Amino acid sequence: MNKGKSAKIAALAFALSALFAFAAAAQAKVQLTLGSWRADDVAQMTKLLDAFTQTHPNISIKFDPTNPPDYNAALRLQLQSGIGPDLMYARSYDTGVQLFKDGFFADVTDLSGLKKVYSDLARAPWADESGKSFAVPFCAVSHGVYYNVDIFKKLGISVPKTWEDFLADCKKIQDAGITPVANGLADQWDINEVVMMNILPNFIGGPDGRLAYESGKVKFNDAKMVAAFQAMKELAAFCPKGFEALTYNDSNALFVNQKAAMYFDGSWTMASFTDMKFDWSVFAPPPPKGKKGFVTFHPDSGIAMNPATKYPAECKAFLQWLYSDQAAAVVSNTIPTGFFPIASNAAKITDAHADAFLQMTKARPTDVRFVWPKLMSGKPSGYNLLQDGTIAVMTGKKSPQDAADDLQNGLAQWYAPAAAK
Amino acid sequence: MSPSVKVRKESGALWLFFALPALIVYAAFMAVPVINSMRLSFFSGSGYALNNFVGFDNYVKLFSDPETSARFFNAFKNNWEFFGITMLVQNTIGLLFAIILSGKGLKGKGLFRTIIFVPVTLSVLVTGYIWKLILNPQWGALNILLTKVGLGSWALPWLGDPHFALPAITLVSAWQWVGLPTMMFLAGLERIPDELFEAAQIDGAGAWLTFARVKLPLLLPVVGIVSVLTFVGNFNAFDVVYAMEGANGPPAYSTDLMGTFFYRTGIAGQHPVGIPDMGLGAAVATVTFAVLFAGVLLANRLMNSGDVERPRAVEAERGGA
Repeated sequence: MNKGKSAKIAALAFALSALFAFAAAAQAKVQLTLGSWRADDVAQMTKLLDAFTQTHPNISIKFDPTNPPDYNAALRLQLQSGIGPDLMYARSYDTGVQLFKDGFFADVTDLSGLKKVYSDLARAPWADESGKSFAVPFCAVSHGVYYNVDIFKKLGISVPKTWEDFLADCKKIQDAGITPVANGLADQWDINEVVMMNILPNFIGGPDGRLAYESGKVKFNDAKMVAAFQAMKELAAFCPKGFEALTYNDSNALFVNQKAAMYFDGSWTMASFTDMKFDWSVFAPPPPKGKKGFVTFHPDSGIAMNPATKYPAECKAFLQWLYSDQAAAVVSNTIPTGFFPIASNAAKITDAHADAFLQMTKARPTDVRFVWPKLMSGKPSGYNLLQDGTIAVMTGKKSPQDAADDLQNGLAQWYAPAAAK
Repeated sequence: MSPSVKVRKESGALWLFFALPALIVYAAFMAVPVINSMRLSFFSGSGYALNNFVGFDNYVKLFSDPETSARFFNAFKNNWEFFGITMLVQNTIGLLFAIILSGKGLKGKGLFRTIIFVPVTLSVLVTGYIWKLILNPQWGALNILLTKVGLGSWALPWLGDPHFALPAITLVSAWQWVGLPTMMFLAGLERIPDELFEAAQIDGAGAWLTFARVKLPLLLPVVGIVSVLTFVGNFNAFDVVYAMEGANGPPAYSTDLMGTFFYRTGIAGQHPVGIPDMGLGAAVATVTFAVLFAGVLLANRLMNSGDVERPRAVEAERGGA
């Protein structure tokens, strides 16, 4: 009898525990994945995603980045074969729009509060022509000229105000036996994105100038574009010996080792400039005399949601949290150094150098990288035309006029406003 | 009589039985993908969704679209240059090494053989990176050396100059792979019977005459095989350019090979922002395959069309290898 009772109790306990287990399973945690091309940012992004999980205990998000150059191709392949992540980084403009049109990004226009936190201008890089948003704007990158403050002080040079001053300073630095500018050509993309497109708004007159090209009002080989190519030619004389074969990392090393006094690059690089043996800062690329200065402030990454996800409610919860007032401080200070939040409620950046970058954009109007909004996706791409032209001019293979003509003729093959008479 | 016939029949079936596993593996991992890639060259679309049949459009585009065809023919031309320099430098030096190593009375043969062969065993990414450092215009060993010996004007940015980049890469590739032809030539030389050299010596032939009249003719089959292997290897090459210059074949596409062109067209897109076109990429791969097939066929024909001795020598080479 005693034996029978204990058996009954055991059975009851077993049934109860099974019931609890079942209930716990019903409350099971949802795990989402976040695809990205920022393989360098695992630590910071994990911190950010953990902060989200603290407020939403049932949702955890795994950061799952891909090698940057392969991201576009790999993501498309994943989405097409139905193994795409629940959430993913979205490129701005054409590359993102293509995926939206193919049905791989969910429409997030109606997320509550999105339009309040992000202006039309801020949402535009991740919206199609009709204004539908396919991603929540996440961060932007800025561009400038890093400089060695110690060398500037030693040679009695102040930050140049005009392109002409800049060239004169370069000459002074060169005469002192130091390489003025660290940049090189071997990796190609950097001379295009962080040098040419860094100075270009100054020569063409910022966003208005860009719109004039895009609308066909002026041709891509007008005097302003030729002047920009001419500036790149002038710059070549102050690049390191053998700059034709120097890579992006070589340039960085030249600046870090104080062999070069200045270095054109994007804000993301400042994360690698910790524990430097010298004082460094950054200035905005100087405009030619009598022209207005601009800063290239580029919308870099948005976060989109997979329409085929099993957990749409959880995905939306994350996207909304991302731009909520509660998350603003966390987002601003966990997104990697050198990336800037786009939300209007973003908190103040605490890192001094990062703030210096941000101050440049407060002092001057900004524009995005020249070819991104309209000129990327045709063949030949405006990106490649600008890159090949810049390199050819800097190596003396083409005149600035020829490079601008080739840009115009290449774009005229597929971009209607460029082709119009 | 009848038992022997039976045995023969059985051994025929047995042959198939033993070949079957290899045949299945070969079909599954070589033949089917190659044929499938040829099939894909008639489709357009992206990713796995290559479902839009376009006939020969990809080939028409490859050969007639100004932008695409310029890149294609440029890569094709560069590949021949790559092959030419490799034959001239790598295989000639390989032959020279083999002759030296096969010489009588050379001490430390094993050591030299190892030294020459070691680079073959390294990853191309490693050797490419090391040579990139050596050739760096700012802190590379080569230019520092040139400057030190008073040839500062020769210290060029080798990998950044369209005239020198491809030869430089080819020489690095030759440096890495020279061990392979060396070993093959050495094996060929060591198989030549000593009596022939003795006879040549008695006839009064010097070193050069012995090489030209005895060694080289008997090595021709090996030369043929080395050439075919070099040809196939070079037209499939990708890694050395990728490691030393990047997928775009810079500067100014001067180091673009069929391999890098295919990679950009079909797999990764123009770096860093291009969108790949898999159908067109499959067309590039198919054309490369056709070039290789034609080349190997031609080489086989040439190797078998010589005098009566040569095919036998080829057979011997196959047996000995």
